[in-house]
Amino acid sequence: MNSSTPSSSAGGPGSAESTGPRRNSKRPKYSRFTQQELPACKPILTPKWVISTFLLVSVVFIPIGVVSLFASRDVVEIVDRYENECIPINSRNDKVGFIQSSQDKTCNRTLTVPKHMKQPIYVYYQLDNFYQNHRRYVKSRSDQQLRSPGSERDTDPCSPEDTTSDGRPIVPCGLIAWSLFNDTYDFTRNNQQLTVNKRGISWKSDRDRKFGKNVFPKNFQNGTLKGGASLDPSKPLSEQEDLIVWMRTAALPTFRKLYGKIEVDLQAGDVIDVTLQNRYNTYSFNGKKKLVLSTTSWLGGKNDFVGIAYLTVGGLCFFLAMVFMLIYLIKPRQLGDPTYLSWNRNPGGH
Amino acid sequence: MKRYVYINDDSLAQDLYCDNRISNRKYTIWNFLPKNLWEQFSRFMNQYFLLIACLQLWSLITPVNPASTWGPLIFIFAVSATKEAWDDYNRYLSDKKANEKEVWIVRQGIRKLIQAQDIHVGNIVWLRENDEVPCDLVLLGTADPQGICYVETAALDGETDLKTRLIPSACMGIDVELLHKIKGVIECPTPDKDIRRFDANMRLFPPFLDNDVCPLTIKNTLLQSCYLRNTEWACGVAVYTGNETKLGMSRGVPEPKLTAVDAMIDKLTGAIFVFQIVVVIVLGIAGNVWKDTEARKLWYVRYPTEGPWYELLIIPLRFELLCSIMIPISIKVSLDLVKGLYAKFIDWDDQMVDVETGTRSHAANTAISEDLGQVEYILTDKTGTLTENKMIFKRCCISGRFYGNENGDALTDAQLLNAVSSGSTDVIQFLKIMAICNTVIPVRSKSGDISYKAQSQDEEALVRAAARLHMAFVNKNGNVLDISFNASLVRYEVLDILEFTSDRKRMSVVVKDCQSGKIFLLSKGADEAILPHAYAGQQIRTFAEAVEQYAQLGLRTLCLAWRELDHDEYQEWASMFKEANSTLVDREWRVAEVCQRLEHDFEILGVAAIEDRLQDGVPETIETLRKAGINFWMLTGDKQNTAIQIALSCNFVSPEPKGQLLMINGKTEDEVCRSLERVLLTMRITNSEPKDVAFVVDGWALEIALKHYRKAFTELAVLSRTAICCRVTPSQKAQLVELLKSCEYRTLAIGDGGNDVRMIQQADIGVGISGREGLQAARAADYSIGKFRFLKRLILVHGRYSYNRTAFLSQYSFYKSLLICFIQIFFSFISGVSGTSLFNSVSLMAYNVFYTSVPVLVSVLDKDLSERTVMQHPQILFYCQAGRLLNPSTFAGWFGRSLFHAIVVFVISIHSYAFEKSEMEEVSMVALSGCIWLQAFVVALETNSFTILQHIAIWGNLVAFYVINWIVSALPSSGMYTIMFRLCKQPSYWITMILIVAAGMGPVLALKYFRYTYRSSKINILQQAERLGGPILSLGNIEPQSRSLEKDLSPLSISQPKGRNSVYEPLLSDSPNATRRSFGPGAPFDFFQPQSRLASSYTRNCKDN
Repeated sequence: MNSSTPSSSAGGPGSAESTGPRRNSKRPKYSRFTQQELPACKPILTPKWVISTFLLVSVVFIPIGVVSLFASRDVVEIVDRYENECIPINSRNDKVGFIQSSQDKTCNRTLTVPKHMKQPIYVYYQLDNFYQNHRRYVKSRSDQQLRSPGSERDTDPCSPEDTTSDGRPIVPCGLIAWSLFNDTYDFTRNNQQLTVNKRGISWKSDRDRKFGKNVFPKNFQNGTLKGGASLDPSKPLSEQEDLIVWMRTAALPTFRKLYGKIEVDLQAGDVIDVTLQNRYNTYSFNGKKKLVLSTTSWLGGKNDFVGIAYLTVGGLCFFLAMVFMLIYLIKPRQLGDPTYLSWNRNPGGH
Repeated sequence: MKRYVYINDDSLAQDLYCDNRISNRKYTIWNFLPKNLWEQFSRFMNQYFLLIACLQLWSLITPVNPASTWGPLIFIFAVSATKEAWDDYNRYLSDKKANEKEVWIVRQGIRKLIQAQDIHVGNIVWLRENDEVPCDLVLLGTADPQGICYVETAALDGETDLKTRLIPSACMGIDVELLHKIKGVIECPTPDKDIRRFDANMRLFPPFLDNDVCPLTIKNTLLQSCYLRNTEWACGVAVYTGNETKLGMSRGVPEPKLTAVDAMIDKLTGAIFVFQIVVVIVLGIAGNVWKDTEARKLWYVRYPTEGPWYELLIIPLRFELLCSIMIPISIKVSLDLVKGLYAKFIDWDDQMVDVETGTRSHAANTAISEDLGQVEYILTDKTGTLTENKMIFKRCCISGRFYGNENGDALTDAQLLNAVSSGSTDVIQFLKIMAICNTVIPVRSKSGDISYKAQSQDEEALVRAAARLHMAFVNKNGNVLDISFNASLVRYEVLDILEFTSDRKRMSVVVKDCQSGKIFLLSKGADEAILPHAYAGQQIRTFAEAVEQYAQLGLRTLCLAWRELDHDEYQEWASMFKEANSTLVDREWRVAEVCQRLEHDFEILGVAAIEDRLQDGVPETIETLRKAGINFWMLTGDKQNTAIQIALSCNFVSPEPKGQLLMINGKTEDEVCRSLERVLLTMRITNSEPKDVAFVVDGWALEIALKHYRKAFTELAVLSRTAICCRVTPSQKAQLVELLKSCEYRTLAIGDGGNDVRMIQQADIGVGISGREGLQAARAADYSIGKFRFLKRLILVHGRYSYNRTAFLSQYSFYKSLLICFIQIFFSFISGVSGTSLFNSVSLMAYNVFYTSVPVLVSVLDKDLSERTVMQHPQILFYCQAGRLLNPSTFAGWFGRSLFHAIVVFVISIHSYAFEKSEMEEVSMVALSGCIWLQAFVVALETNSFTILQHIAIWGNLVAFYVINWIVSALPSSGMYTIMFRLCKQPSYWITMILIVAAGMGPVLALKYFRYTYRSSKINILQQAERLGGPILSLGNIEPQSRSLEKDLSPLSISQPKGRNSVYEPLLSDSPNATRRSFGPGAPFDFFQPQSRLASSYTRNCKDN
């Protein structure tokens, strides 16, 4: 934005006085700070600088936008919404009843790979309209309890899922753990099992620090009201990676969580059969469930937003630069023209 | 109520009155905490924060850890409390020092050394030379056989000359030894703070039988904190002690002044508060509705079917807490901090040091610097403020002959010297009056030189001049004066002094010639107080002409007159005078009446003219400030002509034909009324013409106008840019300030003497000149400066910068708080309107306290225009005066900006961190970093001049944000463990930041640029000119050199019109008040419009826009 002429403000008239006799002993030593005379650069918004800035921004942003967009387009993503189809046709009038019943909930889905997918291929489940960020929900956990076996009874924030009816603490306590997602997926390609690696899907820091290696699930899902998945009581929390992933609450009501990784390439045209257990109840609040298979790029998953936003901002900046340039050329205005100071206009004809 | 003090009576009155313990403390150790907290909580903002902090203790509703509010709150309270405690401790120390000082008193007839705090009323206190007086005493005896002692009253009234104090006549001649045993009673009024009055009586008991009641005046007292000088010892009886002394009573905490800016900030805070309540109500209702319709379906949330009775309140209260950050807790602290710095800048300013005396400017009140930039009216004293108050005897007219007219200095006028040496009777008599008729004390130094200590500068000038003309006043020994004239010593005894009062406007002495025994009345005074009392038949026309002529030249005139008194006449009068002097009721009036009886049938001798030079730079200062749109009123006790001449010579009013003076005079109500209406009419007509119209009013007419025609006078005051009020009393000065304040103008009163104190205290800003009339005004003032000309710098530089900086700082504080608050609100829409906080407690607390407060604090170094430019274009002050940088419409701009930025940050954060990346802690940090980045760029964009400190603060702060967050991220126990490291490794994080900055700042920059270039304000134009070296600067010379030359040639030249550069002629008709008045809320960027300037209605609605 502008002409940086370092100049010391406030000129010389004072110097005569400051050289005068200094009788007052309390007088501070002269310094540029106390006299507010620190050298300063005083940029102003000249057309040249502003137009160049906008041009520069557009020149930088448009390529970044294009690159981001390409990165996002390179990501191959298979999304399969299944929550409706996985309800048997005769139960579709009472989905909630079906999901709460003990019927067999196995469901088969077929996915076609549109393009070559390089490994690793991430398997996500996506929930829509699920408020993991709801205040009652997001607070309902006890980090102390998850971390160390000694804090088993630290269940204060966990209400109403803190203790069993006879007062024994639930580990892990709280609504988040209680509502753990419990749909499962099995993948086969050409009748051949595709292994889904479920290790290392959570953050390493969580496994190491947040979830204790010697904290084991206790009294979990023993209540009358069953939430989501149960946990293997013989495995420490640090190895319950589905739980760890689930406990990283999402900030948005639509979110994806990592289910596992497929560590082989998938070819275009491959048909993948998914056998899933549709157990999780999203029907009572009209939530959607989606199975997502996705590769990744340097920017992450498929997300056109960044690219489009960059292109938009770049374009707007270019537009602004052009507009300002036109105005500047058509209607030039001298900066600092004294005639614009009204007190310098003709004194008579105000 | 009267107080009876029994002298030296230990049995009585011990418990009746307080002891002499002085206490200026506000607190004691025990009540400090409750009292201080109580005081702090009496402020609305603090109550608000306390309420919020208490609500946060309820874990059901708090969105964050209560520490995020308690931390800053306790910090802020601790800072204020510590400051108070420190101040109070210092007061305690100085009290203790005074209280434990040892003094000699008499107990049971024996002199004892006790601590000052143990003195009781009725005790006799002995003082030695240079001792400080510990309490208010009535003198009983001194080392001087005449019963005189000298005191220095500088600590009391700031006057540095020595004053004489006299023992009461009843105690005259009592032996030193007997003083120990003296008994008696003093009847005195209840304690008050008037240091000029003490109307009491004393009666001594046997054996000092003196049945007469002896009157006591202030002359017989030694007041607390004075110093005994030039007197070996003195003793007196304590009449007022401790906090009941005259000094103690006049001590008082002045009303804290609130600046216009503070008032505006409070108003905006109130508006935000209302906005917050609305948001809370709306979201609260929405939240409850959502809960009942949607949240009940969310099985994983497990809402209980039946909640507690307060269930409906929970969500609104959560939102209240969530939105509580809308009102920034840091704003008060930041403001106090920067205001302290503004005051320091004034103290430090090397360009506002009076080189002659080495006096620095001082800001005693650190809280009102912004008001300096918003001054609309300056009410100034004349003598000592505009002028130097260095009186020099310049001319005189004796018996119709003018001396000093040719060369401008009577002391070197050959004719006068001849007349003196030839012994012309009139001239000799004239000189005698000059030498004797006064209260001057000659002090002979060791080297034999005589210097004069005088209360009045005029008297000193006359005595000095007389000495130069061989009539030297060499010694004063009690009532006996020695005058040396041409080496022969003449001795006079002063019988009575008829003192000067501002009502009488003259003073006289009755003296007895020690050789001939003749008694004379010698008088001097203002012309209207002397000339009418000439003996029948004396031609006073020449004197009146002389007075007129001298006044034309801007000189102060004194008429000198005398009369010989018969012995009988004198004796008769003297007893009346004594009686009048001992009355307790209306003493001043009675005395004046008695004096009147003697002061008549004068033989007028002549007129002495004394010059009071204008201070350096006064005309330029006034011209500059007038161009800045500040209206000047001169309030002086001096006479009309002198005042007008001074006004002309210092650019106060322009000479004809440009300027026009309208007189308001008259002695009766009718006359004043007619005069006022005429002036008002003229004023209304000429208001649209480019004419410099001023009105002149004298004290008498003013009294009537203020009493009966207040409305008309107020209208006049509003219409008139300039006024000269002469012959006004201190209370009238204060009344005028009050009048202007009642019209909602920002007033600044400047003065130097005790008579200006009331006006200074009354005004929004009081400025004292630490001048020759003592420090009384400077003490009472908010700012003290050494010379009038510093006022220009004080207002245009310090006031203007302070205003600009505070305007930015306060609005920015709201901006940043609103920014984060809006994000929280938006987030609540995607979190089921349940009141979840997106940000964690640490971030929320640190956001206001650390991340965003540092960069803005260095805005105290920002300068939009250089000092030089401002001085050349003082008109630019208009922006500050009219409050153009901080008002609801500018605030709306900031509000809009925060809303826009919140949308940008929120939308970009949740979209680029969607799906698999939408982890709560990460999204929260992305949004927070977005805010921090944006605020750094906002500060950078709004900064006009970058010094190295600003760069460090702005960019350093950004770096510090990352450092702090990396540290927090490294702690396994914190909620955001590893988050910041993870984010910083992701390219998408940085790409998002850049996107936020570009999307947030682009439109802001474009808008600013457009305004800056195509809708530029005057400030912008000057910035452009200044930085591009445009043509403006070369035009704008204020030509100080040429003017000072002109002044040197004839310091008081009045009539010649000053050559001025036509380009710089201020548009005088262009009354900024008129403009301001018509400026409506709809036209924020095009003021100074021609049509608006024509409007002259004076409904004042403007400043509030």
